[in-house]
Amino acid sequence: MADSSLKQPIAAAAPKPQGATSGFQWGKWLLVAFVFGYLALILLVPALNVFIQALKGGLPGLVDTFTSKSFVNAVKLTVIATAITVPLNTVFGLCAALSLANKNFPGRSLLISIIDLPFSISPVVAGLMLVLLFGNRGWFGPLLDANAIKIIFALPGIVMATIFVTMPFIAREVLPALEENGTQQEEAAATLGATPWQTFWRVTLPSIKWSLLYGLILCNARAMGEFGAVAVVSGNIVGKTQTLPLFIEEAHVQYNTQAAYTASLLLACLAVVTLVLKYLLERSAGIQSKGH
Amino acid sequence: MTSPQRYISRRSAVLFMAGLGLAGTLAACGSTPSTPEASTGASTTAAAGPVELTLVTYAVTQAAYEQIIPKFAEKWKAETGQEVTFNQSYGGSGSQTRAVLDGLEADVVALALAGDTKKIEKGGLIEPGWESEAPNNAIVHKSVAVLVTREGNPKNIQGWEDLARDDVAVVTANPKTSGGAKWNFLGAWGFKTQTGSDDAAALDFVTKIYKNVPVLPKDARESTDVFFTRGQGDVLINYENEVLLAAAKGEKLPFIVPDVNISIDNPVAVVDANVDKHGTREVAEAFVEFLFTPEAQEEFAKVGFRPVDPTVGEKFADQFPKIDTLFTIADLGGWEAIDKKFFADGAIFDQVQAKIGK
Amino acid sequence: MTSFPPSSSQGFWHQILHASWPWRVTWLYLTLFLFLPIAALLLKALTLNPAEIWRIATDPVAISTYNVTFFTALVAGIINGFAGLIIAWVLVRYEFPGKRFLDAIIDLPFALPTAVAGLTLSTIYSTNGWIGGFLEPFGIKVSFTRLGVLVAMIFISLPFAVRTVQPVLQDLEAEAEEAAWSMGASQWQTFWRVISPPLMPAILTGVAMGFSRAVGEYGSVVIIAGNIPFQDLIAPVLIIQRLEQFDYAGATVVGTVLLLISLAVLLVINLIQARGRRFYG
Repeated sequence: MADSSLKQPIAAAAPKPQGATSGFQWGKWLLVAFVFGYLALILLVPALNVFIQALKGGLPGLVDTFTSKSFVNAVKLTVIATAITVPLNTVFGLCAALSLANKNFPGRSLLISIIDLPFSISPVVAGLMLVLLFGNRGWFGPLLDANAIKIIFALPGIVMATIFVTMPFIAREVLPALEENGTQQEEAAATLGATPWQTFWRVTLPSIKWSLLYGLILCNARAMGEFGAVAVVSGNIVGKTQTLPLFIEEAHVQYNTQAAYTASLLLACLAVVTLVLKYLLERSAGIQSKGH
Repeated sequence: MTSPQRYISRRSAVLFMAGLGLAGTLAACGSTPSTPEASTGASTTAAAGPVELTLVTYAVTQAAYEQIIPKFAEKWKAETGQEVTFNQSYGGSGSQTRAVLDGLEADVVALALAGDTKKIEKGGLIEPGWESEAPNNAIVHKSVAVLVTREGNPKNIQGWEDLARDDVAVVTANPKTSGGAKWNFLGAWGFKTQTGSDDAAALDFVTKIYKNVPVLPKDARESTDVFFTRGQGDVLINYENEVLLAAAKGEKLPFIVPDVNISIDNPVAVVDANVDKHGTREVAEAFVEFLFTPEAQEEFAKVGFRPVDPTVGEKFADQFPKIDTLFTIADLGGWEAIDKKFFADGAIFDQVQAKIGK
Repeated sequence: MTSFPPSSSQGFWHQILHASWPWRVTWLYLTLFLFLPIAALLLKALTLNPAEIWRIATDPVAISTYNVTFFTALVAGIINGFAGLIIAWVLVRYEFPGKRFLDAIIDLPFALPTAVAGLTLSTIYSTNGWIGGFLEPFGIKVSFTRLGVLVAMIFISLPFAVRTVQPVLQDLEAEAEEAAWSMGASQWQTFWRVISPPLMPAILTGVAMGFSRAVGEYGSVVIIAGNIPFQDLIAPVLIIQRLEQFDYAGATVVGTVLLLISLAVLLVINLIQARGRRFYG
């Protein structure tokens, strides 16, 4: 709601709870220290390790990796697969959120749980499912073979695997935003004569754009980094069906540790870039992170 | 609000978006060069247009094939005037086998164990009798099991027997997550049964060994990492070629080659169903033949595999110590029997783990 | 049209028959990309006879892996629940240097490929690693034990715990807090009676989502764990083992068990959240 930006000043102006102000400060810094410590243990130190390992061989090593043909092709494939996955998932996410928000019907929680499922299905199982469907010996195998259509071990398979694994992100981000916004504005627009499409495009969409963008960024990051499901369905053909995470795995197995960590550095940087992007977008809107 | 006209326009908007998405996907599908179908039309007659060959093999062979493939391509061009390009896929032997069975259209498969190749034969993609279609029973390179110790060998590991000692921690890959790791287990088992002991003694022996195992890494690569980088265990059971490759890449530790050892035989085969489909049989068979020439065998030796060509073997004799008692999978009963006896559900390996776990 | 509340005069079935296009797209997409694959999984599992299915699903090693997987994931979820609450609290309520950096880095586990995460966590927490080496003199071993599995699961489920609580905390009306303080409630009482109840569903949701993600995780856990059966072998590794045996059906059986349990947990959580919405919404 538009009121949220007003809440900050109110909270700040609220009377302090009983207890000395200096005691309160102690508590604050203790908590902050805890947070830094916890995150250092779990996130920061491991991330630092990736950076250091990648830079161990110095700059020439980095350049070597970044210019190798298989690396470049891997990056290309990852970007293409992600570029197809994210828009499709966005359409789904918006439709699902619109269908669920502010409605009540039997089985609603079940539907939401089902949409959440891809989070909990092990990526290898996801890949296995696709093989069971489209592989040689799968449901559609003979049909596809007869028509010389390749899904598994080609780009479509990779895209489907990535779609599966990143499906819930946008839906789960946008849904709470829609719920929070309520339906007043849409109702108002309707009474003023707007068509449903106009209502969606001009009223609903702008009101959820931050949640949508956050969802997009997360979906994008996850799609680029997906390994397990893609490993099963891609066939890992160097230069053709090898995504960046697969490239990293292969470099690692060949004892090309330098190349493996360097490519990981690129992926990790990608994560940071998307996070920075998110922060910039949030800042330009003047509101703090809304999260899920 | 709900007039039919508006429904139709919204419906078409949705269909349009869905169509865009699908079209994009199909377009990408059609344009991706990963379809070997492209070569079908081109190679109905030999020495016609360029041909694509898909090689599916397991991970650590890449360094060798990267050298061998250009040499072969050159030779083939000189002999027939035809351009041949390779699609290469490297991965775990088991995963590659499953991929081929599920539709990865390999023309040539070079896997880590004949058991995997047999699975593809069982799936109908390779004709029975593939073992006799290439020299040396279709075994293109070999290796043996080795025991890697710490610098200076502080625990004084001299052979298999020492792995069962109480004070020794052993690292070895999990044979249930990595087909190749079966070799490690069989090496220990065969050490007993091939030197006069019976199955009961062998079972006792391997139980003692696996009791000393604090970590079961998922494959050979992980086990090197666990032992070398993360400093676990006193001794690592691994394949000689893996250890030599690691040493070449900077992860060097002393190792022992036991006198009684298992012959890790790596097969190569042409996938009949696929080469006939693609019309690439001639090239594929020529490639397989090429792998047995001294030129190619040298490349394998350089990355740590024991060559099957005797002259190349002579050349690299210092790198590959001779084994006194070398037993093979055949001596242990063949892969099918072995899988059933040791690695199936509830079979010997499971029993050993259950015993240790309780 | 789609964000209009359903008019009570229109029955549920009427809505089904005159479904809106978002509804249709949703169902088409779900069918294509979710239901179809799951159906393939279930049907493959059912190609085995019931006795066989039962044997595979209840094998002692399998049961121990369910135990390790679900129990450790639950512990990871709960730890993250507490930590996530504190982190969200700190990020929402306080200002301090480095706050924006911390806020951004919370999402890192989403983006880092699982294998890289596994490698780096395993290296750092092993006995010769930065943190592991520090803990070793105290007799604490992390890598290659269940503790390592726990660390990996905490890593990948952290974002869920923080990001579900954060928005709720932000939107929490300050008036209720003010009222409580002005009536003389202590800080602690305020927290327990006024702030916690609306937060509970959000915390629970974060815990559950992190839990289910941790349950399915393979790439990072398999590298940091010892993978010893009955000790720290997790269920996803079991699935891989079945595949290595070329036992697709068996793999789908274990996969189905995981799927059903996860669905059950998710359902419980979403129901709790639905109730919570009505409570404070």
